Amino acid sequence: MRRGSIVQLIVIGVLAGAIASAVALIPDWLPSSASREAGRIDFVFWFVTGICIFVFSIVTAVIVYAVWKFRVKPDDDSDGPPIHGHTGLEIVWTAIPALLVTAIAIVSAIVLAKDDAAGANPLRVNVYAQQFFWSYGYPGYRNKLSSVLRLPVNRSVVLTMHARDVIHSFWVPEFRQKQDLVPGIHATLHITPDKVGTYPVICTELCGFGHGLMRSRVVVMDSTAFEKWAEKKGTS
Amino acid sequence: MTTAVEHHDVGPVRQGLPPPPGGLRRVLYPGFLRAAWMTPLFFGIGSAIVVLCRWWGGWHPIWFGEIIVLVGALIAAPIGFLAGIGAFDYWVRYSIGAPTEPEDHSGHGAYSWRDYFRVNTDHKVIGMQYLATTIFFFLAGGLLAMLVRAELAKPGMQFFDNQTYNGLFSVHASLMIFLFVIPAFAGLANFVVPLMLGAPDMAFPRLNALSYWLLPIAGIMMLSSFLVPGGAFASGWTGYAPLSVHQPLGTIFFNMGVQWAGASSIMTALNFLVTIITMRAPGMTFWRMPLLVWANFTTSLLVVIATPFIAGSQFFVMFDRVMHTHFFDVGGGGYPLGYQHIFWFYSHPAVYIMMLPGFGIASEVISVFSRKPIFGYRLMALSLMAILVLGFSVWAHHMFVSGMAPWLRVPMMITTLMIAVPTGIKVFSWLATIWEGKINFATPMLWAVGFVSMFVIGGLSGIYLGAVPIDIHVSDTYFVVAHIHYVLFGGSLFTIFAGIYYWFPKMTGHQYNEKLGKLHFWLTFIGFNLTFFPMHLIGTQGMPRRVSDYAPQFGNWNLFISVASFFLGASTIVFLYNMVISMRRGAPAEANPWRALTLEWQVSSPPPVFNFDEIPQVVGNPYEYGVPGARHAVLNGDRAATETEEVRH
Repeated sequence: MRRGSIVQLIVIGVLAGAIASAVALIPDWLPSSASREAGRIDFVFWFVTGICIFVFSIVTAVIVYAVWKFRVKPDDDSDGPPIHGHTGLEIVWTAIPALLVTAIAIVSAIVLAKDDAAGANPLRVNVYAQQFFWSYGYPGYRNKLSSVLRLPVNRSVVLTMHARDVIHSFWVPEFRQKQDLVPGIHATLHITPDKVGTYPVICTELCGFGHGLMRSRVVVMDSTAFEKWAEKKGTS
Repeated sequence: MTTAVEHHDVGPVRQGLPPPPGGLRRVLYPGFLRAAWMTPLFFGIGSAIVVLCRWWGGWHPIWFGEIIVLVGALIAAPIGFLAGIGAFDYWVRYSIGAPTEPEDHSGHGAYSWRDYFRVNTDHKVIGMQYLATTIFFFLAGGLLAMLVRAELAKPGMQFFDNQTYNGLFSVHASLMIFLFVIPAFAGLANFVVPLMLGAPDMAFPRLNALSYWLLPIAGIMMLSSFLVPGGAFASGWTGYAPLSVHQPLGTIFFNMGVQWAGASSIMTALNFLVTIITMRAPGMTFWRMPLLVWANFTTSLLVVIATPFIAGSQFFVMFDRVMHTHFFDVGGGGYPLGYQHIFWFYSHPAVYIMMLPGFGIASEVISVFSRKPIFGYRLMALSLMAILVLGFSVWAHHMFVSGMAPWLRVPMMITTLMIAVPTGIKVFSWLATIWEGKINFATPMLWAVGFVSMFVIGGLSGIYLGAVPIDIHVSDTYFVVAHIHYVLFGGSLFTIFAGIYYWFPKMTGHQYNEKLGKLHFWLTFIGFNLTFFPMHLIGTQGMPRRVSDYAPQFGNWNLFISVASFFLGASTIVFLYNMVISMRRGAPAEANPWRALTLEWQVSSPPPVFNFDEIPQVVGNPYEYGVPGARHAVLNGDRAATETEEVRH
């Protein structure tokens, strides 16, 4: 390859990378973050995004360059050079993707392990799902029941899932955490809210005709307000 | 094989079947007339069995609609239809000891349009039957998608109630997967693989015909579920139990439709395996097979191993419903997650069933239109095998948030991410193939290069989904919808179009309209990206999938996506118009308009009824473009020339 064409190739690659980076950075890809897990998950998201932009730029550079330069002339019936392969090149493009996915796997596994580990003295909440509404029980507070999930800020929370009919899925985009509720299985989900506010709870597993309407709210409050609310008798 | 060829030399072959007899005997002659009375007859027999059994067992009510629909309409009537059109005639005659039809191959070939509407044993006719049928269901599935997008254009409810909406996207996905992508590839391969191998037909032509005729049954079953009380099946194409167990009647139309489509798929795959293993022309070693044949070989292995699992999962759901078993009923000791494990043990390999044949088509097209040998041919074939093996070890990545054993997540993530390696090898090898080539951007090449670029995006979004922490956030959102459409539309559909344009001259004997072909590509390419790329964004921002109503914050993007999707849908009109006018009035096609080396291009367009007058002799690799004097095969007439050449060597 001539030096000029390598420069052209790099320029196209940088341009493709710049466009992809703009697409990654200009819109708000992720909702605001309201839990410690969200921060870690966002890190994985941007880590993978960086690798993807790198791969995308290389592939795009090669395709654009080839489309631009290797177009056949209308009256040219000749064949291209009979290149059958290049073992070195094939080893490189087996090894580099293998390394990149290994890095992604390691980062993901570490984040997953951290997200799964509940802190000391977590608040336990039971999540109940049935067609088509949510309710929440607080075993530490005389099994207080609520239709809104209220959580104290900066305290580790363990949600235990209870499905009463079919499969549902508990998702709070701002927490980035999601867990299916399966009849007979009491999976747990760990969240540490770190921002006071109100966020949507969305059912993300098709559960029947009312699936799209199966919403609820989570209210993250400061711990004294939470205690005051939780000690109050009766359901709310 | 050889005897069959000699047999033809003895006497002239009749041009098609004899005309059907007149009078009352016509009613007994295989065809739609016989099917018209045998279908209701079998429905009656099926219903009678149900009623008799219920009466004898003392079950009330004796006349129970749901079971009669299942046994009478969804099992017995299709068998009656198949028997009526004559799919079983030969076997029935043989097994009762009656004289069979003399095998004069008059069932081969198509001499008028009527020959496409009967049980035809010619692989080329069956290939065309497959393609016409699958394009019909592609249009039906596409129209359903348009209805889905119409509903989603604005927040709030527009045209449909929730249950109907759930039915629309469920049937859309089921038709596209089971009645379009999988069988469209089977149809293309049906036409091309025997030709590429230098074989006169598939190994089991009658089984091949039967496999085809199961398809319209499955498709009509799925579509007609809209007409039954309670509406179409509405628990998604994934049909998760226990929801699907307790849905209206339409669900059993899905349960049984999958059985018919799956049976078709398995029989075709067995046929391909036997054909590829036993019917290669002399000299066609495995390492001289075109990559399309390799791709269909691995796909067929996937189909044969995996498809029984989805058949099982749908039977279990149906048994829970009609026989009150407790496979997925917690109250009865069942295990709801068992459904997902069995389902995805098929449905993840199914992703590769829907992709590997496309890899094969892309390899053919890219090599021919770059005028270069495929880069790293053996590694290309081996990476198909690697995907086949790895494909069976990743199913639980669909279940990271399902509540399965948590320890399973990391191993499944590792195997999932590892698939990026053989897939990456394929992409880089295609890029190396076009590098320094003499690229001719005819329509098939546009689709093939478009496929590579779109598939890269689909592959990269797959990395996000493979990484467990990200998947936890985006699973069951529009990010997943975007991902599967980049893989199945930008991947599978683009390669199906590449294949249809590439082999159109061979199949029809006419050249398609190049300008319209290019217009079709660009309209689809632009419409596709405008429709599906923004779905990534609304997905990560928090819009769940499979909802008819959504938060107002997603209103603008959804309107944009709906408008783009109508544009995308309209681009199909260009394709249909091109196909119809080119088939009727297109310029006559040469035998080898693309100057390709593989065997299907060495015979006339369309090929003779028995493909090759003489079995070809394969002497080299299929992609030796640019190698002076290289040949893939020697056909009759050239033999003398080669023999002298061999003497010279």
